[in-house]
Amino acid sequence: MDFSVTIGGKKLANPVGVASGTFGYGAEYEQLVDFSAIGALYTKAVTLEPRPGNDIPRIIETPSGLLNSIGLANVGVDSFIAEKMPQCRKYPCAIVVNVAGATAGDYAAVLEKLEPCRGIWGYEINVSCPNVKHGGMAFGTDPAQVQKLTKDLRRRTKRPLVVKLTPNVTDITVIAKAAQEGGADAVSCINTLVGMVIDVAAKKPVLPLGTGGLSGPAIRPVGVAMTYAVSRAVSIPVIGMGGISSANDALQYLLAGASAIQIGTANFVDPSTASSILAGIREYCEKEKVSQIKDLHRFIS
Amino acid sequence: MKQFIAKIISHAPVSDCFHELTFAWDPRAGAPLPGQFCTLRVSPYTAPLLRRPFAFSSYDEQALTASIMYKKRGPATELLSGKANGDSLDVIGPLGNDFISVLPKSTSTLFLVAGGTGFGPIVFLGLRLKKMGLPFTMVFGCKTKSQVPRFDALSSLNPVICTDDGSEGVGGTPLTVLEKVKPGERENGVVFSCGPSPLLYGCHEWANKRGLECFVSIEQTMACGVGACMGCAVKITDAGGSGYARACTDGPVFNSRRIAWTSA
Repeated sequence: MDFSVTIGGKKLANPVGVASGTFGYGAEYEQLVDFSAIGALYTKAVTLEPRPGNDIPRIIETPSGLLNSIGLANVGVDSFIAEKMPQCRKYPCAIVVNVAGATAGDYAAVLEKLEPCRGIWGYEINVSCPNVKHGGMAFGTDPAQVQKLTKDLRRRTKRPLVVKLTPNVTDITVIAKAAQEGGADAVSCINTLVGMVIDVAAKKPVLPLGTGGLSGPAIRPVGVAMTYAVSRAVSIPVIGMGGISSANDALQYLLAGASAIQIGTANFVDPSTASSILAGIREYCEKEKVSQIKDLHRFIS
Repeated sequence: MKQFIAKIISHAPVSDCFHELTFAWDPRAGAPLPGQFCTLRVSPYTAPLLRRPFAFSSYDEQALTASIMYKKRGPATELLSGKANGDSLDVIGPLGNDFISVLPKSTSTLFLVAGGTGFGPIVFLGLRLKKMGLPFTMVFGCKTKSQVPRFDALSSLNPVICTDDGSEGVGGTPLTVLEKVKPGERENGVVFSCGPSPLLYGCHEWANKRGLECFVSIEQTMACGVGACMGCAVKITDAGGSGYARACTDGPVFNSRRIAWTSA
């Protein structure tokens, strides 16, 4: 059985990734996780300058979900290269750096700094963070900006370029097509859904910015539906995510048309999720006599 | 730090609202220290979703058992309270920093101050200090007499007990007791505190006004518990007060001067 997945001419050993923002820079999970079960580690978003992140509280649990407003808290690209990448290079999995910014120029500047850095498999362009005032989702909801930004980044790198889509739009396929037009090698979907929890006693939203991004099992059916729609709208590979915590969940995404998947919130619940999901996908494929991931796409028209 | 499945050895209430849970400890994870915590997955289903953090209240290195103390205050602790001896627990730990590594080098007067569920880690610290032969004063407060925990280890530490309604011990909070400490009794004093934020803030103020050091164990909602998600941020005075630290890995124990206190 060949579990590898090819994106932009480069291979991932297996289709199971760990999603940006849920796995830090890898080191946080070193003592808990078998990295050889991970196909790709999508790093915490990296911005040009270090960011302290949003005011507190930043997280609240919701029914089968997690509402967060972290605000892209990260060490900044220079510290990422100097302090985080040396450790990342030691891992057996592909390192995909999640790139974020407030302006198009920020994205370009981060990518330019990362380009000479060894050990980076590719980039995931974060145009979908709902928790920042500038950039993030503001880019990702406008197809023209997504296409322009992708095109600009495309000419700066030969490494695989994955554009991470927001579900907070009327039609996600329009944005996916714009990313493809701009030269993306793949799209990943979905980022978190905008949500709000109100403290009734205090008569105000729990999160300081009012809204946050909803993740976890609660959003899985939304993610599967969007992955299904996007895979039919574009010819580039789709990386599915949203509420995946078991092999069954992951297989729903793969059957819907995803070429790979990412585990997000479930990493917090059980850090060994990636290896159990990989084993479960393998078992299913053997039983169904499926020899490669893309053969799973033929079951649902 | 390791993730492992542990068997519950004992599980019983220690007062009308606090429970003590003791489980088998996997020594390959390393020995837990006072101030450190573990996260437990209380349900195999998706609700409650996240693991919950619990500070250790003791660790027996001979028996290889660890204990936590908790109060039922939501669906997760409600589910946890239904677990019986012999049941399995999904544990990750030990996590975070500890009180032992910040113990003063020179001889000092140590004040151990706890409120509510905060008494677990403070009792653990007291037991460890007793073993190390270091004297200390322990003060802990509850709302009322029926909440005051009763267990053998506690009485061996001779705590000063306070109740908000005065139904047992000193009437008032542990801060009432601290205020009465005479200057001669607090030379080179260092405070170690765990409990609700007003208590932590009060300890910080009390120590700060007298030029004493204070270490507080901060509680914050956590998602990962290992430093990855940046969810359990604590506002700190570094970078002029615009910085954040992670309760899970930079803490939970902080020098109280590092905390950007917002209110009492």
